[in-house]
Amino acid sequence: MNDFECGQVRELIPDFVGSRLAAEDLEAVEAHVTRCGECRAELELAQTILASRPRIPDGLLARIAAAVAADRRSHTRPWWGISAAAVAALALGIGLSSQRAEAPVDVPGFAYEAEEGDVWLSDDGLVAGAPLFDGLSDDALMTLLDEISLDGAGGAA
Amino acid sequence: MRDDELRGIEPSDLELVRRGRTGDDSALGMLAKRHHAAAYRVALSLVGRDDLAQDVVQDAFLKAFRALVGFRADASFRTWLLTITANEAKGALRRAGRRRETALDDAVPVTSDEPDPAEAAVVADEASRARSMLERLPEKQRLSVTLRIEEGLSFREIGEVIGSSEGAARVNYFHGIRRLRELME
Repeated sequence: MNDFECGQVRELIPDFVGSRLAAEDLEAVEAHVTRCGECRAELELAQTILASRPRIPDGLLARIAAAVAADRRSHTRPWWGISAAAVAALALGIGLSSQRAEAPVDVPGFAYEAEEGDVWLSDDGLVAGAPLFDGLSDDALMTLLDEISLDGAGGAA
Repeated sequence: MRDDELRGIEPSDLELVRRGRTGDDSALGMLAKRHHAAAYRVALSLVGRDDLAQDVVQDAFLKAFRALVGFRADASFRTWLLTITANEAKGALRRAGRRRETALDDAVPVTSDEPDPAEAAVVADEASRARSMLERLPEKQRLSVTLRIEEGLSFREIGEVIGSSEGAARVNYFHGIRRLRELME
């Protein structure tokens, strides 16, 4: 079994409480927290946070399904139009080899483009002791992270 | 029902996205079933009100499904959806012309199957307290903690959702955890 350090354990605590760890890592975290009070406290906090998850409203899924169905009835999207055209063309014996059902359209792939003004309403700068991190370099972030770890680390016995 | 589903094999999100692009309603339904809870929790974390959070989630799914053809799978569907949800939540707050409200009534803790009522009450109290403390964190710290612990996202994925680097997401998370521990003491 690996003998994990506090930093390793704290990285894994969310996956531990979410039952997402492989058996070997699970055992290593369990062994560590039995002898490290700081990490045990952090693990207990994560368990408490997980237990406090808001309840999902009854009917939310049905509401989404109804909205999606209504939306599909009311819109003709490019990919549906192409699909329908392809089916019609096949029925008529017309080749549409140059058209593809998944023709590219001007939609972001991952980076969802927020509407203008949809910026983070961050209150970070208004809260004492809550610095903004986005402008820091990776080195600066790692240094800061080390300081956080050192501040809170009790260390394993 | 498809062969893989008949055999009890759950299709991947990517497979469902592919099917959804071709107009398969059941695939979209499965995506919604898988991810609506996470989307709701992210929305509620940002807007702080149940009714507004539900509106946000509905709109996020509509936008995601309309844009499905442009999803290039260089991120998971889940992360992509949560990014859209977060942006929808911010837009909803902006349109409402106000900041997030704290609505503790919406944060009903999920209680465990604890047989001892007294102990269960203590656990529920502690969970409620943790939730109220979580809501006092700055926005990015709060969302980093929520996404890491409740949704199991990696720091890279959290960075994508909150619009920061992986390193900044990690620091936001650990700052949030440290602050929570201080508040809970």
